[in-house]
Order: sequence, then structure tokens, then C-alpha cells
Amino acid sequence: MQAITITLDGREVSGYLGMTILELAKESGVEIPTLCHDNHLTPTGACRVCLVENEQNGALLASCVTPIASEMVINTHSPRVTESRKTIVKLMLTSHPDSCLVCDKGNRCQLRQIASDLGIGLVELQRIPRMTSTEEVNPFLERDLSKCILCAKCIRACQELVVEGAIDYFQRGFTTIPATLDNLPLENSECTFCGTCVALCPTGALMEKDRTYGGTTKSTTETTCPFCGCGCSICLEVKDSKVVRVIPGKEDPVNHGTLCVRGSYGCDFVNSPDRLTKPLVKRNDTFEEVSWQEALEQVAAGFKRVKDEQGSGSLAVLGSSKCTNEDNYVLQRFARTVLGTNNIDNGGRLYNSASRVGLRSSLGFSGTTNYLSDMEQSEVILVIGADPNSSAPAVGYAIKRAVKQRGVKLLLIDPRQTGLSLFAHLWLRPEIGTDAALLNGLAKVIIDEGLLDEEFVARRTDNFEAFKESLRSYTLEYVEKITGVTGQEILALARLYAKASQAAIVYGTGITQHTTGTDSVGALANLALLTGNIGRKGGGIYALQRENNGQGACDMGTLPKFLPGYQSVADAQARGRFEKCWGASLPAEAGLTTLEIMEQAEKEKIKGMYIMGENPVLSFPNSRLVTEILTSLDFLVVQDMFLTATARLANVVLPAASFAEKEGTFTNFEGRISKVRKAIEPLGESLPDWEIIVRLADKMGYPLPFSSLRDVTSEIEKLVPSYEDYTDSEKQDELAYGETGRTYDRQFLKGFARFSPIEYVPQVGQRKSDYPFTLLTGTTLYHFGTGNRSSRACRLRKFSPQSFVEICESDARKLAVTDGEEVKVVSAVGEVTTMVKISDTLRKGMLFMPFSFPETPVNALFDIVLNPETKEPSLKACSVRIEKIPVPLGERL
Amino acid sequence: MNKAKKITKADLAQMNAIVSEYSQQKWALIPLLQQIQREFGYIPPQSMLLIARGLGLFTSQVQGVISFYTQLYTQPRGRNVVRVCRGTACHVRGGKTILKLVKQHLRIEEGETSPDLEYTLETVACIGVCALAPNLVVGDHVHGHMNPKKVEQLFRNREVRE
Ligand code: SF4
Ligand code: SF4
Ligand code: SF4
Ligand code: FES
Ligand code: FES
Repeated sequence: MQAITITLDGREVSGYLGMTILELAKESGVEIPTLCHDNHLTPTGACRVCLVENEQNGALLASCVTPIASEMVINTHSPRVTESRKTIVKLMLTSHPDSCLVCDKGNRCQLRQIASDLGIGLVELQRIPRMTSTEEVNPFLERDLSKCILCAKCIRACQELVVEGAIDYFQRGFTTIPATLDNLPLENSECTFCGTCVALCPTGALMEKDRTYGGTTKSTTETTCPFCGCGCSICLEVKDSKVVRVIPGKEDPVNHGTLCVRGSYGCDFVNSPDRLTKPLVKRNDTFEEVSWQEALEQVAAGFKRVKDEQGSGSLAVLGSSKCTNEDNYVLQRFARTVLGTNNIDNGGRLYNSASRVGLRSSLGFSGTTNYLSDMEQSEVILVIGADPNSSAPAVGYAIKRAVKQRGVKLLLIDPRQTGLSLFAHLWLRPEIGTDAALLNGLAKVIIDEGLLDEEFVARRTDNFEAFKESLRSYTLEYVEKITGVTGQEILALARLYAKASQAAIVYGTGITQHTTGTDSVGALANLALLTGNIGRKGGGIYALQRENNGQGACDMGTLPKFLPGYQSVADAQARGRFEKCWGASLPAEAGLTTLEIMEQAEKEKIKGMYIMGENPVLSFPNSRLVTEILTSLDFLVVQDMFLTATARLANVVLPAASFAEKEGTFTNFEGRISKVRKAIEPLGESLPDWEIIVRLADKMGYPLPFSSLRDVTSEIEKLVPSYEDYTDSEKQDELAYGETGRTYDRQFLKGFARFSPIEYVPQVGQRKSDYPFTLLTGTTLYHFGTGNRSSRACRLRKFSPQSFVEICESDARKLAVTDGEEVKVVSAVGEVTTMVKISDTLRKGMLFMPFSFPETPVNALFDIVLNPETKEPSLKACSVRIEKIPVPLGERL
Repeated sequence: MNKAKKITKADLAQMNAIVSEYSQQKWALIPLLQQIQREFGYIPPQSMLLIARGLGLFTSQVQGVISFYTQLYTQPRGRNVVRVCRGTACHVRGGKTILKLVKQHLRIEEGETSPDLEYTLETVACIGVCALAPNLVVGDHVHGHMNPKKVEQLFRNREVRE
């Protein structure tokens, strides 16, 4: 690249062609103030605060939009520049309202900062304050547009970064404001309250609403969002040991300056009054607060008793896809060496083990194959069984950006209308649970029409002939009959996907949470292999994960069959390595999966259980049964931040610290390892999960050699493949940005990828006449998981206080139910009461309910139907009916 | 305030037809808006969503553009647009009174359109014929040297407001 040399404040500096003066100045350590510029946004040159002078011709230039040209002589702080800058800022101040004095933006206001840096005292110009403001009733953010300086950062953030387009300039001249359609309050617009615009607004025009979280920040900590699998980098602002504000982090390879409503406004669960601050022991059916000493003695004694009486095999442990890698690592070592059992699994299994098994058997690699940033090179993106706008918003943003800004074609397969439907080039709506048939149909078209990447198939894959043979019956007519998607649509989608030179696949729990999930994952891998889309930037398979550390928990070996790093417990050599390091002999037979643990507990084969950060009463199917089983145990210990439905059943409850109170790492859906950093001290006497386990091991007489987190991380680095240098951020960056990704260069771990013939099997538990509706479950944007944390985030709760069941209008009319009416949703195993919400996103016969309301346990409706291969229960769809609730006589008119 | 006339299914179909002529060409927004306005006399708010989808824009962006240009309207306009001059020359010669009288005759305020869609009333800052002040314009026709009597003649068919 050609270097261009300019003189900047009397010094010669060089940059490259196309670089702006501002960029070069920043690189050379020269500060130029800016108000409308941000690295993530297209520069507009709206505010002119960044102006500089070109000495050659005396021109004043907005440095953020002016590219460098050779031999320019630029002054960034000459008297003339400073004077002009002052005038510009003064003009802004003249239209600023008096409430500036008491503005909560305070020291964070960039306008005030710049004014004081420029030494602006009194403004001698006549003041003409803008008098506009909008009342908002949403609990998240507040707009006082009288403080707006029209920098358009919010508008650009909304259009370019999160691609909602809720706001744009409205009117012209002095009355211009950034406004929603019809200038309505934000809650009546497309706004999703992601908070991205709030974080970027340089003035007090856009601000967080709830003043109890206001005030001047004392310290800030860069860490990782604890909610979804995107793993956005966030920055916690702390005052008086309270997290008062969350803004997008600066090291943000995933989120690029954005967040979603959960990240921005959901983290106050950390300071919830419901947090457990002392260990609890149950005596005569009530919990008593006790000291750590006493609690740990009780736990140690309890486990010892069960182990001595019934053997190690009667103990089981659940790790957590919400806790850090280190927590999970220490937990599985504890389970295997101290308790002596492989009966350890994690909650993530319920949502993503179909991915691990399906991808592993096809690709030999059990996770997302590419980084999210690669998607920028895709030509086509196929999204199936995922609503990333709700479940993984940062991925949703990336997809929408690709469509809007680079004309990428989005192919959507989803029975339900989602936020992506509007962006889709083609949208197929198959019958629920028929994905495998549809995918086979697509593969057949690709082969029949000769659209496959023959060289890739021949050189890199295996088992093609058998696969081709297995597709024989999947003719367009047959597939159309099963899926309800027309042959024309199938043809169109197959051609678009196969003809693209780079095509990515994104899938989520709509695929994995069905009993046939593993098959569908395999079928997706087949498609990618057929077209050579593995090992290519812009291609690949993105397996979304529900929770922040779903991948990490599995990587760390909270799995019954695998030691850390997917090293089989049956493999004597692998076992030997761990035995040597841990100085203990390890059980060789595979342990039980979560659901098998429950089954065995029902048969009284499992008598003691240790649950860390999971809430099976709400997250497993058939909550009634799970409650019975857990109650019948001899000894149950739950380690959590809150007294969850599961914790209530425990003999001892140990208070765990939140993500904001500990150090460690999370692994996001891409496999990217991000740092979790401590922002505040653990609340009350709560402790980081790993520390609790270490103390417990001590009490049980098998001390673990971890006196600090560093001890844990070095052991992980030593023993877990692909975590070799994981605490070294530089090495991690290299991995993420370098050319040598995981399956790049078309290399597979086993040398070959393997086609797996998949048969479409109709789902267990099809519709029956008693239960005419198919209920789909999923995530809503404003809540998360089982709602344990999000229901304790005040603002999320205020905005979306109640569970609901979505139904299409014609079904609602048929049942004579109205919007907002309470109804019962009844399945073969349970029932819940909830509120009707009429929605045009569903078709006839479909219902949708979110998972995350603890008062309305949707899982109560599900029966335990296992996915035969991964032993993952189906939690995605089941058959139900809706019953009206008769109005009591007295209330009738 | 007058209400936009009810948009029928046929109107929506027509809007769709117009939008589809321009579909997916981002730069076609202004000509498209002009054409819609030609057909309907204004830009019905219902059309904004169709336009946005058709061109791959956000609805708020479409609104932003419409609200930026004085020549684009989101309210129906009267068959006769009356513009009363509020420029300095007209002001000193009683423009204010003329405006008041016109309001009384037409029974609408500035920026409004009469319910029968006959008149829209606007003001303007100097139309460049100060010599004839006070002035008002109906359609393309300038009426100079206005006085109460002339106003009365112009709008005779409208009843005087009580
Ligand atoms: S609201 Fe804030 S970000 Fe948006 S234009 Fe105004 S000052 Fe800029
Ligand atoms: S909060 Fe997010 S969605 Fe709402 S206006 Fe701001 S950027 Fe747009
Ligand atoms: S997208 Fe996911 S990781 Fe990012 S802020 Fe939202 S919940 Fe957190
Ligand atoms: S920062 Fe350059 S014009 Fe605003
Ligand atoms: S002021 Fe009315 S025409 Fe000039």
C-alpha cells in the first residue's frame, strides 16, 4: 500500500491512501475532539467540532471525513482552529436548555467536556433553547431532545449497527429531531431498547431512565455479558459496590459497539435483594442461615454418608452452562476425583448437545466452524430454526447488516414469522419438526442438478455414495407432502444456496431441541459438505448456543462420557494423563446424562445430587416429575445466586457470587474465549462457584491444589486441547483474526469429513384430536433462560411482566378468546395458566410460549421424550389444547 | 382537523402497483413519492410502509425524507391552495388582518385543509411583488392590494365564521 506523508502540527507523519486526517492524528497520538464521529459508524461530518486547518490554502476541514493527501500541512490546534471550534461549540450551547445544569449525563457529557477543554466560559450569544421533548413510558430510556445536537449518532447506530431503523430525522431546520414514525414514543416503534444509541449519544438527549441506577460512576470493568451465547463484551460501571450502568465494551469483536436490551438493562439482577448472602441449611422444612463452616461440614458429611452407604455411582453432579469455564472445570474434577463418579452433565446439554454429536460425527469438530466476522464474506446466509433477533441478538444484527449493507441473500426456514422474515430473500415455512426431510430434499436437488462441489466432495469427504443412495426417495413430491413447502420453493432455495460461492448456515434451538435434532444437524452438515462450504471464509456452519457458556461447559468436561476437551473417559491413555496430573484413579465407565440421572433417581439408584447454577425444576421437561424426584433424594445440595425452584428442594443451599463478582472466562457460540472480570466484591458471604467447590473438597478430606484462579487456569492450559494459551489475549486474537481458523484451509481433524445418511422420522408425540395445537417454545428478547435472573432485573420485569401464549387470529376467533384473556394451556402431562396474545407471526394450529417466566413453568407441559442419540429431551414442541377459564358467577354481569 | 380520506383496498392495490415499478431501487425514493402524490394528491401514511418495504428502506427513513421537503404532503390538500403573504411589506399594510379574515371565511387555521377538500390555507414569507402589498395567492394566481371587501368577494361562497 502506498504511504502518504503529511505534516501534522509541524511533524512529518505517514498513513495510507484513504485514511482520514482524524485517523492518522489518532495513530500519531494527536487528540482532536469529536462529537459525531464513532469508529463503528459511517462518518458524516455533521458537527464540525473536529475541524483542522490546512496551512497551504487556509481551508478549515472536518478531519473525520477528509482523507489525507500528500504534502498536506495540517494544524490541529492553531489559534484559528481553536477559535472556530469555540464558536461551533458555543452555537451548540446557545440552543441547549437550562436543565443542562442538573443533567444526569454529568461528566459523561461529551459536549460539556469539549466545552470545558476549549475553555468556554459564559456564552455571550443570545440563547434560543430548543423546546422539544418526548415523554416515554418505557422503563429503559428517556429522550430529552431539547439537548439533542443533531449529531445523528443514534440514527446511524439504529440503522447501521442494530438495523432496526426505529428513528430518523424528522422535519427540517430548527425543528429537526431524530424521531420515530409519526413521532410516537419509542415503545410504539420498532425500537428494541438495545441501548446502543444511548451509549453513543454524546449529550444528555438520550439517557438511561431509572434514576436509582444513576449517579457518577466510580469505576468501570470490561467483562462479558452473562446472558446469551453471543458473548458480547460489556463494560460495567460501578458506584458504591453497585452495578449502576452497562455499556458496550471496548474490546468487542462480536458486538461492534452494540448490545441488546438484556445486556444493557438486564444486569441489575446482580444487586437484587433476592440474592442469597449466607449459606442455608434446611431444618424441619425451613431454611436457616448458617456459617460457611457449618454448611460445608453438613455437605461433606451428607455426600460422605451417601457415598459410603451406596457407593460413588449413587451420586450425581450438574454443572452449568451459565458458570465460567473455571467453575465447571473445578466441578468436574471434584466429581471425578472427590466423589469418584462420571455422573456429571450440564444444563447446556438440553439445548445444544445435538450440535456436539451431529457436527462431531460429520465434521470431526463439534462447534461453530467460523467466526462471526467471516459472515461478512458470505454471499448467501441460510438461517434455519433460529430466531437470532431474540435468542442471539448480536448474530441477528450481523445477519441484518449483511443483508442491508452488502446485499447478501438471506434464506430463511422457519414455521414462525420472526424479526428476520422481513429481511429474507426467500422464506420457507415447513411443518414443525420436518426439517430433516426438507434438508434431504434440498440435498437431492443439489446432486440431481449437478450443483455440488465435486472436487471438494471427492477429495475431502467420505461416504458420498451411500449418502446419495439414501436420498433416493426424497423427491420433490414426497418432500412437499411431508413439509408442506412447495417443490418450486425447494428448488429455488437449493439453487440459491448451492450456486453461491460462499454460503453460511446458521441454526439454533429450533433444530436442536427437537427429538430429531441430531439428524437435522447432520443433514445441515451434509448440505455444507456437498457445496464445499466448510473450511471457507464466508461459508461454514454457525451453531447458535442458548447460554453464555454452553460451549465452555462441554469443553471443560462437565459431560458424562468425556473428560475435559472431549477426551473419552473410556480411553485409557487419556484417562492416564488426567490420573497422573490429578493423582487419583478415575472411573472408566461413562456416567449418566441429566435425564438418565433423573430416571435413576426415580428408581432410587441415585441418592445424592450436587447442582451448580442450574434450575432443572424449570428447565427440564415435566417439572412435576422432576420436583418429585428431587424431593425424594437423600441429599441435595444446590449452589446458586437465588433461592430458585430447585434450590427450595435442597437440604443445603450455598450462595454463589454473580458474574460481576468473579474472574474467569466464558466460551461463546463461536468458540471464542472471553474474559470475565470482577467489578464488585461478592455480595454478602457469597463466593465464586469454583472457590466453594475447593473449600468443600478440603472439608471432604481431598484438597484440590487450587489456591488461586491462576492455579486453575494453568491446569486447564496444560490439559485441555484448544485452551492451550487461552488466558493469553494476544494469542487468542491471533487465532480469531488469523487465517488459520479451526477448519480453514479445508483441513479436517480426521482428514475427511463424512456424509451421514439421515432418514426423516416423524416426531414422537404428534398432534392428537384432544390436543389440536402444536406449542412451540422459545426465547423472547426481554427475558432469558428460565427467568431466574431476567425476572429479577427490574426494568426487564417492568416492561414484560407476564407470560403469554401467542395464537393466530383465526384460531383465537374459533376459540372465542380475546387478547389479554387468561386461559389454560393443557398438555397430556400438565397445564399452565397464561394470557392470550393474538399474533400474526403464527399459522393456524400453532401456539408460541416463551420459556422465561418462573411463575408459568412452560416445561410442565412437556413430557420426557428423549432424543435417542444425545439423550436430550424435546423441549421445543408439544401438543396442547387451550381451555377457557370460566368466569366465576359473582363476576359475571 | 380534517381526516385523511379512508384508504380503500383498491387504493392499496394501486399504491402497491406504483411501488413495484420502483422496487429495490433505493435512489428511486423521490420520484416514487412524487408519483404517489400525483395519484393521490398527497402521500397517504399507509403507503409509507409499502414504500419502505418496496425500496428496502426503513419506514422512519421514508418519513424523514417526506418531512424534509415542503412539496411533499402527508395530508390531503385542498383543490385551491391559498397562500397569504406574511412578508414585511405585506405586514405593514395589514397582512395580518387579511390572514385573519381569510381564516374566518374558510373556517380553517394555517396549515389546514377544509373538510370538503376545497381549500388549504398556508402562509408565505414574501412572494416578490411587494409593490402590490398586501398580497395573497390562490393556486397560481396572485391577488394584490387586498382589502376586506376583496377577501369577501374571493371567498363569497364560504360562510363567515360567527
Ligand atoms: S439524540 Fe443524541 S445521538 Fe441522537 S442526534 Fe441527538 S445528540 Fe446525537
Ligand atoms: S435503543 Fe436500539 S433499537 Fe431503540 S432507537 Fe436506540 S438503537 Fe434503535
Ligand atoms: S446479544 Fe447476548 S451477549 Fe450480547 S448483550 Fe444481548 S444477551 Fe448479552
Ligand atoms: S466529528 Fe467530525 S464533523 Fe463531527
Ligand atoms: S412582503 Fe408580501 S409580497 Fe413581499
